[in-house]
Amino acid sequence: MKTLVLGLGNPILCDDGVGCRIAAALQQKIDNPDIDIREESLAGLDLLELLSVYDRAIIIDAIQTGKGRPGRLYRLGPEALAQTRHAASPHDVNLATALELGEQLKLKLPREIIIFAIEVEDVTTFREECTPAVLKAIPKCVEVVISELQKPLYQSLPLTKGD
Amino acid sequence: MAKISIDPITRLEGHGKIEIFLNDAGEVQNSYLQIPELRGFEKFCEGRPVEELPRIVTRLCGVCPEAHHMASAKAADAVYHVDPPPAAKKLRELFYCAHMCHSHIAHFYALAAPDFVLGPMSDPAQRNILGLVAKVGLQIGGEVIKHRAYAQQIQAVIGGKATHPVCAIPGGMSKAITEDDRKDFEEKAKSLVEFSKFSLKLFNDLVLSNKEYLALITGDIYTMKSYYMGLVDAKNKVNFYDGILRLVDPDGKEVVKFKPEQYLDYIAEHVEPWTYLKFPFLKKVGWKGFTEGKDSGVYRVSPLARLNAADGMATPLAQEEYDKMYKTLGGKPVHATLAFHWARLVELFYAAERLLELARDKEITSPNVRTIPTATPDEGVGVVEAPRGVLIHHYKTDSKGLVTMVNMIVATAHNYPAMNMSINKAAKGLIKKGQPVPEGLLNMVEMAFRAYDPCMACATHNLPGQMPLEVNIRDSRGEILQTLKR
Repeated sequence: MKTLVLGLGNPILCDDGVGCRIAAALQQKIDNPDIDIREESLAGLDLLELLSVYDRAIIIDAIQTGKGRPGRLYRLGPEALAQTRHAASPHDVNLATALELGEQLKLKLPREIIIFAIEVEDVTTFREECTPAVLKAIPKCVEVVISELQKPLYQSLPLTKGD
Repeated sequence: MAKISIDPITRLEGHGKIEIFLNDAGEVQNSYLQIPELRGFEKFCEGRPVEELPRIVTRLCGVCPEAHHMASAKAADAVYHVDPPPAAKKLRELFYCAHMCHSHIAHFYALAAPDFVLGPMSDPAQRNILGLVAKVGLQIGGEVIKHRAYAQQIQAVIGGKATHPVCAIPGGMSKAITEDDRKDFEEKAKSLVEFSKFSLKLFNDLVLSNKEYLALITGDIYTMKSYYMGLVDAKNKVNFYDGILRLVDPDGKEVVKFKPEQYLDYIAEHVEPWTYLKFPFLKKVGWKGFTEGKDSGVYRVSPLARLNAADGMATPLAQEEYDKMYKTLGGKPVHATLAFHWARLVELFYAAERLLELARDKEITSPNVRTIPTATPDEGVGVVEAPRGVLIHHYKTDSKGLVTMVNMIVATAHNYPAMNMSINKAAKGLIKKGQPVPEGLLNMVEMAFRAYDPCMACATHNLPGQMPLEVNIRDSRGEILQTLKR
């Protein structure tokens, strides 16, 4: 079984790069030929192409719900993004739409996709460092992803309830 | 109309925002497009070696890193006064044509076509690529995914990775391609040419043969008379990677041709109190406000702007489609904003044909892909056509090549005045006094904006993976009457 751990974000746009930082930290700790760890800044259809060769995917990204404190970690399934499926993005479709397209076209998609999202503060300033609260949350996120990887497929933790 | 002042805090939510203000009579008074601004990029670059910039600028946005990479590499060439060898230029152009294919396929099938194939007022739950594929067939959906992947794979081989390429360096490219690569590119390019042909046929069958849609495209609410700017080759044909900038007036007459490094002689920027973004305009015509026509310095860049600014396409099949477009739409120039979509498909055809030409070029596998820079670095400008229009990078360095100044004008900035005007015109034409404003109508306002394929360098890779867009309709006191959020 092939697993993809994918850190998403822009590593030079402050908290936006938190997913990449967590993936980089995981790279140091995990050495398993069945687990690919990648850092990317992709969305929509490109993400679909990337995911379509794996059995399981763990996606780590920044999120701005505007409700949680910075550094809070959410564990989400792809269906949590379903309400945003309309193709309103000026550039690309969103992840939920891309996955649905993958199903429609009968692409091989991961049987399980878990999204770890970290509440962030600043995603508009170009700098290499995260804000302190987000930076502090990184080690915990790394541990949570590692324990997720140790669980068999479909027996993972419950998802974060919507606020 | 009440005085408009929009709280600066609301500007920083990472939203693209369209604000529509009604007057006391309930008619549209004015509309405003607000784009979130990313801060500190110039400062981030200062003090870094200029040869690192082509890799850093790919992080400016998740949408066209390849365009930034190429504009930056060309600017760095200019800073070092170095001319890359012919094979390097061809390889860059081949890479860049693949990028155009990748980007234009996504925009047409995921973003433009749903409005036409399913209808602009159709149920928003269906009005997307899923609804499109359900209507035109799974096989076509598969072809879309396959050809995007082809374009992506070509970019990955040359660029070093799929997105955020690392291949172009001052003086050329970091590595050459092999004969096996070339053969592979040739096969993929052939397939992309066929797919482009098919896409234009689809557009013809589903959009052009529908009188209602043709009327929508050519109708007044989506028409805007402006100047147009685009990169052209020595024969005034469209070129994405290299050439000089040509400007034509709203009658289609050439105003000037200028070298990229002269851009500051032709483009100035106007400031408005309600947005952080500046409004570029033609210096010699002047800023006359958000008005159309020859006396206004508002100009546009885009696929259609490129076609309007050029005398034609450099490849035969794309040229046929070019002629057909202008014949159908009543001659040059075309001012219909929704015709951007058609122009994008003509360009897809050209990009695929040019890709094939370059993949068959004897020189493309030459190992001579770099001229080592020897001059003292100082200042340089690099220009390419991003999928959405002219992209300018301008750098200054000290004698060690450390960056002291960065200036960029991206396509969405060039188009910022025009996008505001297009949105305003659509809002005024569609929203009528006392009538309800259903989602479909706001979608039609948004279509005026979406045609520009704006690249806002914002939350594209934050979950949920798309740029949130908010449309507010406000009364004359500024109170929100209706909001549409995506």
